Amino acid sequence: MAAHPTRRVVLAVAATLPLAAASGCDGVDVLAAPPRPALDVALLRSAITAEELMAARYANVLKGVRNPGGTSAALAAALEPVLAEHQAHLAQLRSRLIVPAGAAPSPSERAPAQPPVPTAPAAAVTFLRAAEQAAAAAMLERLPHAPASLAQLFASISASEATHVPVLDAVLLDTRRAGG
Amino acid sequence: MSPAPRPALTTTAALQSALAAEHAAVYGYGVVGANLSGSRQAAAMTDWVAHQVARDTLEAMLRSRGAQPVAAAVAYQLPVTVRTPGQAASLAVLLEDRVATAYLRLVALSSPSIRRFGALQVRAAALRAAFWRGSTVAFPGLPASALAAPRRSEP
Repeated sequence: MAAHPTRRVVLAVAATLPLAAASGCDGVDVLAAPPRPALDVALLRSAITAEELMAARYANVLKGVRNPGGTSAALAAALEPVLAEHQAHLAQLRSRLIVPAGAAPSPSERAPAQPPVPTAPAAAVTFLRAAEQAAAAAMLERLPHAPASLAQLFASISASEATHVPVLDAVLLDTRRAGG
Repeated sequence: MSPAPRPALTTTAALQSALAAEHAAVYGYGVVGANLSGSRQAAAMTDWVAHQVARDTLEAMLRSRGAQPVAAAVAYQLPVTVRTPGQAASLAVLLEDRVATAYLRLVALSSPSIRRFGALQVRAAALRAAFWRGSTVAFPGLPASALAAPRRSEP
């Protein structure tokens, strides 16, 4: 796709989803709004930064869990698939951003931050639970101004994050039962 | 928004599509519940009611737009054979995935309120699907074909 001469980074709108009918009603044009690249890129960057933060939080909690004296393998086994889903979100979001060679890296493309996380297992899981809820809500706030295909991706990621909350609730129960 | 042709019709079609998926879910959960017992059956009942509520909401949205809501079919060809509790859970997952995909079409429309409504319904379907699946997925409602193969390296 052609980039505006002054615009270094654009959306991969080629990745628009051909979300054809789930049940009948084929041929409906779901692409409503013309792309507005500058705003789109800012939205996408903020989503990428948010997912990087979530992945880093899980990674840091897992790092603490794996330390000698850290809690159970069960906790790590429960959190690892959730981290994997955040990494999948991140990969998918990044694939929508086209960064030409030589463009200055955005903050999110530099070394990821190391967000502090609680060290006690129950506190860490409670922290992750709140973070998931906030991330899911923030993703919904990006919907109104996103192009159609990106809005669908945001909505799906938000739903995925919402499903992590009951997973963490179950982990928390197990952690408390184990005396963590 | 000017390039969007007949946005009202587009919205109506997407709402009808979601309604059709809800009709199928209402029918399907009857079969799901019939093959479960105890707390699992109670969970199926709760989800069945949720789909009835969503169906009624969609019908009201369509009527307020002056459209005639699509009717439910008398019977539906189930995508899987259901004779065991495991198969019942698999059917519930399938129904929820289809509902989620149908609501994601609403998220592609231009109206912010309809986008949000669609997204909240995708979330509700994803939560129910995760319960019946016993695990989560990274992209509820999005078919694999809609996902770009991630690039291997950053420039």
